[in-house]
Amino acid sequence: MPVQKKIAITALVPPELIFACSCEPFDVNNVIPGSKKYPRNKLCAWTAIWQEMLSKREINIDSLIVVAGGDCHNALVDGQKVSMSGIPTHFFFYPFDGDPDYLESQLYKLSDFLGNIVSPEKPGQIRELKKLGRKIDKERADGKISSSDAFRIMISFSDLMGDLDKCREAISSVKKQKIDLHNRVALIGVPPIFHDFHDVAQSLGLAVIFDELPFEFISHSGTDIHEIACDYCDYTFARPLDFRIKFLQEELEKRKVEGVIHYTQFACHHMLEDDILRSKLDYPMLTIQGDLPGNTPEQIKLRLEAFREALERS
Amino acid sequence: MIGLDVGSTTAKKVSIEDGEIKYQITGTHNWKDLVTGIDGNDIISTGYFRNLVPHRASVTEITAAIYGVRHYFPDADVIVDIGGQDTKVIDVKKNNFIINDKCSAGTGAFLEFVANYFKIELKELGSFHSRAKRIPAINNTCGVFALSEMISQLVAGYAQEEVIAGMHYAFARRISFMIPEAQNLVLIGGTVKNKGMLSALKDILQKEILAPDEPQIVNALGALKYYC
Repeated sequence: MPVQKKIAITALVPPELIFACSCEPFDVNNVIPGSKKYPRNKLCAWTAIWQEMLSKREINIDSLIVVAGGDCHNALVDGQKVSMSGIPTHFFFYPFDGDPDYLESQLYKLSDFLGNIVSPEKPGQIRELKKLGRKIDKERADGKISSSDAFRIMISFSDLMGDLDKCREAISSVKKQKIDLHNRVALIGVPPIFHDFHDVAQSLGLAVIFDELPFEFISHSGTDIHEIACDYCDYTFARPLDFRIKFLQEELEKRKVEGVIHYTQFACHHMLEDDILRSKLDYPMLTIQGDLPGNTPEQIKLRLEAFREALERS
Repeated sequence: MIGLDVGSTTAKKVSIEDGEIKYQITGTHNWKDLVTGIDGNDIISTGYFRNLVPHRASVTEITAAIYGVRHYFPDADVIVDIGGQDTKVIDVKKNNFIINDKCSAGTGAFLEFVANYFKIELKELGSFHSRAKRIPAINNTCGVFALSEMISQLVAGYAQEEVIAGMHYAFARRISFMIPEAQNLVLIGGTVKNKGMLSALKDILQKEILAPDEPQIVNALGALKYYC
């Protein structure tokens, strides 16, 4: 059996297609929160760290897919730096207007880059796994599993841990608990760069019952390129803000959240969305900003604690 | 029962005896002097070190400020707490808050740099400001670069008190960006004792600003009121 190629991804790229091309996806963001790197020449630490690690071959991969359209503009530049270091790189663009035909053409180009589909059964297997992911999401919202366990599993759905069996085992190993759901909050924006954020929030009396981006990772699927294109074209992070806000309004109402935490990353354009999100989402909102990875800083803990007090006052 | 606010630069103790507010203020490093003979069970703590001092209950400075200010100004809708190392703006009506703790330019530390540069006491800045005849424009929003700009203005011929007034305006402008529309705006924190800064902020915001007589003890009082 030929050795699988390891394909790094910088944001959500349909893993269905990567697996179907008999490649192993590897979401480079998953190594960042545990990293102790202080990158040179950075704006956003997320992209700067993976750029440096990939360029210096500190992460072993065969090639890279950069989500350049519809996600992160820093990634567009940092991805080119990796490309210039000699790693075969493909730039993937989501359609801003959600045009499925455009996305289908992008997926065909990606398929060519990856060597074409050789395992067409994989997307169907992933669809079944994503049903388990959605069950995890629901159980967390029902207070049956911790938010950190749910986050850990759901965030892994961008690359399914590179191995469907491993992912399935990780899901089945999640322990049931009885979680206090006072102060139900949604975490929106990019995921926090702090590896212990969900545990810290829980210890400070906040029940995170929704994670925006990881929820996207379990929400889309498809068994062939056409189906994948038709579903992933609604990936909200790539779409106009009003589309994303409508999705958030529906999800937050469904989950009866009491407050919203908007995580923003230093030097990330998503910070500019804060005032719009505040005006459109009718919930008490806390905006926090992270920069380098590590433990959740004391300044952020103060904000979380004060936010919990604010929710209890309202 | 006492309210104890152990902040980044000062520690404050408040008790209410026969309806009268009694207080003591000292440097943070001397906080233990405030609680000599007081059982931890009788302390409601707040401030940056709230969880590191003995306490029966602790509350963040944000909630403490709301309860403390309510004692003096029940209709306050926005509170600005200018501390030594950060500035907090609390929108009481909207139950919202923002904290600046990344940049020194809008915190008490900034004015401390200025006082240190001129080798004067922090509390003298206000009286220097009142003697200024002109106010130079100091545009930098970064504390460190504002100091360089301050030196340039001195070289350009502005008097010490004028440069100090210019620095108060730079400071106040920085704070003003954080403040939402308010009917009743209340300022608290040690920096509020600086009348020069207060007058610069009033001028920039073009509105009356309320401040308790002793703005430094509001959070300690609020911690106490929150619990009792």
